Amino acid sequence: MARHSVQTRQQGDSGNGVDERIVARAIDLTKNYGGKDNQVTALNHVDVEFMRGEMTAIMGPSGSGKSTLMHCMAGLDSPSSGQVFVEGLEVSSMNQKQLTNLRREQIGFIFQSFNLVPTLSAEENILLPLQIAKRPIDRDWFKQVVDVVGLEQRLTHRPSQLSGGQQQRVACARAMMARPSVIFADEPTGNLDSRSSREVLGFLRDSVRDYGQSIVMVTHDPRAASFADRVLVLTDGEITRDMSHPTYAEILEVFADDDADTEATSTEGAQA
Amino acid sequence: MIRIGLRDARSHFSRFIMSIVAIALGVSFVVGSFCFREMLDSQVSQMMATNADHDVYVRGAKQTKSGSTLLASGSSMASYNAIDVNLADDIAKVKGVSSARVVYSLTGVVLVDNHGDAVTTMGSPSMAIGISASAPWRSAKFTSGTYPQGEDEIALHSFAAERSGLKVGDKAKIVYSDGPHDVTVSGIFSTSASQAGAIIIGVDPSVAKAQSDKQSDDADKTAQICVYGNATTPLSESEQQRLADRINKALPKDSQAHAVTGDEYRDDSTKATQDSLGFIQPLILIFAVIALFVGSFIIANTFSMIVRESMRGYALLRSIGASPAQVFSTVIVQAMLLGLVGSGVGIALGWGMVRLIVMGLANMGLPLTGAADPSISDMVIGLIVGVLVTLVGAALPARNAALAPPIQAMNETVNPEKPVRLRGIAGTIMVVLGFGGWAFACAMAATDGDGPTPWDAVNHISIGWPLGIGAALIVIGVIMAGPAFVSPAGNILGWLPSRIFTVTGRLATRNISRSKRRTSNTAAALFVGVAIVSCLGVVASSAKASVNSLVDNGFEADFAVTSASFGRLPDEAIADIRNTDGVKTVTTNRLLTGVKYDGRSAGGVTFATQTHLFTDVFAAETTEGDAVKALRNGELLVGKNIAEDRGWHVGDRVEVSAENTVVDKEATEQAQADYQAQVQAHVQELQNEAQRMAASGDLAGAQAKTNEIQQYTADAQNIDPQTLVRTKKETTHKTIKIGAIVSNSVYRDNVMLNDDIAEQIGNKQTMFPMSLYVKAKAGTDIATVKRNIKNAVKKYYTISVFDRDEYKSTMSSLIDQVLMILYALLALSIIIAIFGIVNTLALNVSERTREIGLLRAIGTSRGQVRGMLGIEAAVISVFGTVMGLAVGVSAGVVIRAVYASEGLETLAVPWTQLLIFLALSIVVGLVSSISPASRALRQPVLDAVASE
Repeated sequence: MARHSVQTRQQGDSGNGVDERIVARAIDLTKNYGGKDNQVTALNHVDVEFMRGEMTAIMGPSGSGKSTLMHCMAGLDSPSSGQVFVEGLEVSSMNQKQLTNLRREQIGFIFQSFNLVPTLSAEENILLPLQIAKRPIDRDWFKQVVDVVGLEQRLTHRPSQLSGGQQQRVACARAMMARPSVIFADEPTGNLDSRSSREVLGFLRDSVRDYGQSIVMVTHDPRAASFADRVLVLTDGEITRDMSHPTYAEILEVFADDDADTEATSTEGAQA
Repeated sequence: MIRIGLRDARSHFSRFIMSIVAIALGVSFVVGSFCFREMLDSQVSQMMATNADHDVYVRGAKQTKSGSTLLASGSSMASYNAIDVNLADDIAKVKGVSSARVVYSLTGVVLVDNHGDAVTTMGSPSMAIGISASAPWRSAKFTSGTYPQGEDEIALHSFAAERSGLKVGDKAKIVYSDGPHDVTVSGIFSTSASQAGAIIIGVDPSVAKAQSDKQSDDADKTAQICVYGNATTPLSESEQQRLADRINKALPKDSQAHAVTGDEYRDDSTKATQDSLGFIQPLILIFAVIALFVGSFIIANTFSMIVRESMRGYALLRSIGASPAQVFSTVIVQAMLLGLVGSGVGIALGWGMVRLIVMGLANMGLPLTGAADPSISDMVIGLIVGVLVTLVGAALPARNAALAPPIQAMNETVNPEKPVRLRGIAGTIMVVLGFGGWAFACAMAATDGDGPTPWDAVNHISIGWPLGIGAALIVIGVIMAGPAFVSPAGNILGWLPSRIFTVTGRLATRNISRSKRRTSNTAAALFVGVAIVSCLGVVASSAKASVNSLVDNGFEADFAVTSASFGRLPDEAIADIRNTDGVKTVTTNRLLTGVKYDGRSAGGVTFATQTHLFTDVFAAETTEGDAVKALRNGELLVGKNIAEDRGWHVGDRVEVSAENTVVDKEATEQAQADYQAQVQAHVQELQNEAQRMAASGDLAGAQAKTNEIQQYTADAQNIDPQTLVRTKKETTHKTIKIGAIVSNSVYRDNVMLNDDIAEQIGNKQTMFPMSLYVKAKAGTDIATVKRNIKNAVKKYYTISVFDRDEYKSTMSSLIDQVLMILYALLALSIIIAIFGIVNTLALNVSERTREIGLLRAIGTSRGQVRGMLGIEAAVISVFGTVMGLAVGVSAGVVIRAVYASEGLETLAVPWTQLLIFLALSIVVGLVSSISPASRALRQPVLDAVASE
């Protein structure tokens, strides 16, 4: 196991040089769905780097491949060709056991819904990744995280007793708790009202600012994207824009153009 | 709509396999049990038609209470007063009667083949019946040789011939109660029905009568006289009826006899035998119910999964205008199909099982010719049961499919369960009532007939009622309350796994309580099976322990000697044992029949014994008096139970009376004199004729007559003096003082006398030794003495000698055999339970696809997911097993306590065995989780967590 990690790290190093600022990267990433006759290309030779200590938003219309990119980066999906590295480890060639270790040590997740185990209390949910990995619990860090997300009064509640926003904040706290190299957030505010959305996004942004957490977030909501340090726009499986600290207005503008592009080229719908 | 259902069924087929297996098993038990029962029934009626093939039976007109306790065979056939054997002569004169006679049959005979080995059976009897050319057995056809004549010949039934390897002309031995006799096989006959492994030997009727008279306490009476209306062909029912009517008219008024048709007689005895075999079916049916119960919720689970997965499809159907009824029908059609396939497979399986059993029995020497094929009605029952159970299981999921609003169908949220507290309360009340029933049964047993309540009617119900109703209430109560106990049980049982596997253990434990009903139902299958088996396990091991402790504590004798011929030991054999080297004392307990005390029978067996019964066989246990002294003084020893029943105490005087048949000396002398006179007269007549012939010059004729005279006188001298013995009834009375009340568990229901007194009361000829114990001389080698005794009794063929350990193990091995069958059934119920757990977990996993995906996404390894499901399954199965053990063991303890006075003196709980059950249940759980866990892991993490 250890030996393999070293190998992949070396591979990563030889290909990309030692760039400590990069937390995750994709090289010539392609993902196709379907058979020969009805093949759909979700990702088309994508090269991308995600920086440490940044919140990166991936945007794009339905079928643009934004979710696929994130799933491939996080090892949830395997690419058709190309390589994915997280912390210099080649995710795209990992077996199940290595993936499990990767998830325990390097990656945190926040999903759109169904983030929590219904039988466990909020506190148990937050501590779950550490317990699964049998890692020691840093109580100070736990207090700090809980304090930031504002859940002190709700720790003994079951998910069914929490509001949607509270549930997502528990999910954020859980993702933070293990101090992963990178948190992948898949439409974290997709099911929330605007006030809860702002709270969750604010919390994510604070964790980047205060604790240097790296976050990759997929969203189709320009307002959510405006919380990010960097916004990537995907169209038809290719990265079409890479914006640093865009304002809400800038993002909206891009999308106004983008929609026009999409309509003009009228590509066939792809996998969501 | 139906087409959609059928198409769905095809695509779900792999899902259905488990349900089909469960239904098939259940149905196969149902069909198999009916089929097996019918097979036995038809075997019995076939045998009845062959073995009781007379056209009319004349039997007592008065029904008497069921026979003596000694011969209680467990059959429920009514018995009638005995009738006079001489009636046969009157009946024979009735028009249309071809023959009327008493058919003497002897049970407990032993056939010894020409190598000197006794021919053994698989527990079926060996019997001899009287047959001859003039008194044929209509159903028997000789395939070779002919009827036996005299003491030296026997005929064999084809199965007996096959079993013994004897052929016509071969030398063999037959052992009656008075010892072995050398015989030659005169013929071999066959019957259309197989005799279920019984060895049937035909002997000369006079031999059969002579042997039977020796055993009977009244040779002039018989249970029935058998009448043929035609020597070759059976009469039709109406002919039988007419013949019976004519016989009834001809019977003397005071004969207390009544003629019934052969058909009626056969129906009665067939029914009685079938009833006594009837207990097998309910036992099989219990397991059928378990299988079907599990089957029905496996089906409910399966359809819940299918419906969950197809919700979008149903929503689509609904939105394009399908009515709820139509959606309902697409699910029901699938259930119907599944039920039909499962039942079909089950019927075939049940049929195969019975066939296999019949084949196995035939190989073991128990050929059965009863029809082993299921009747149409069996199949229909199986089919209906299978389909009904399937429909019941599928109804709720189908209803959900039909009525769920499309929006809810899209949602993953599981509706919260209805609260289970009400069920918990109701179930607990039932359990408490059940224990009340048991407590009542215990109280009844403790007060010994007086009853714990002030109400007489309640005190005198059969003790089986409170026991059985209590058990039923507890079982149903536990199943009902089960869901309410799932959470606490999960916490308790999950405590250890939660300690060892902090995360997976805790997750598993919490998952247990998520669908309490489902968890509890799953566990119920194991619960019932384990409860039955552990209850019987406790009873069986208590029985064993009781026998052992009987032998270990207080059994002083070194050997017990028993005989295969109905426990009867020939006098010569007893003498031989007594004369064997190294034997100190021989104690024989001889049975006295027809003894009454103050005009009433004691309700237990009376036997004659020797004083060393209480020194060399059992250490005396008495509540009053001194057993040894009482025996020596010729006083009466009464068992504790009888003494309590009659309110007797030491010092009470009891009038003992017995009715005996004794040889009437006067009448016998008279008969002999009459016979002599008759012979003389006949000889005189012949001589006169000879003289007349000689006088008229017919010398050749005269010579012939003289020869005839010689022949006749020779015959007359050879006549069996037995036929001239006349008997009479004699009632003896004697007032005896009670000398001791005996509380040894084996003798609580007996009355004992010493030999002298007994012979003054009873008839020495009919007092047969029912048990014999040997005490070796002090200082002799037990093994040598045993060998000596064995050599001494070898020539009697039927006598077995057991030392103390063998005596114990003869009892234990019987119990072990019964347990083996039970374990086979337990194995089956475990297999069914595994199906149940597998299925429940599969449903749980399908409901929790996203949750498991989430767990995987945040770093749960495959092993941890497997572990979680393994713990979950193990907790379910241990939950069921623990409940089963608790209820089963308490049932066993209660049964033991209630029947303590009937040989279950010692309570023994087979702890090791129970621990093995428990360990096994963990394994069962872990094994069951393998397949659902694999299914959970096959699901890609992405599918589980990706938002739509």
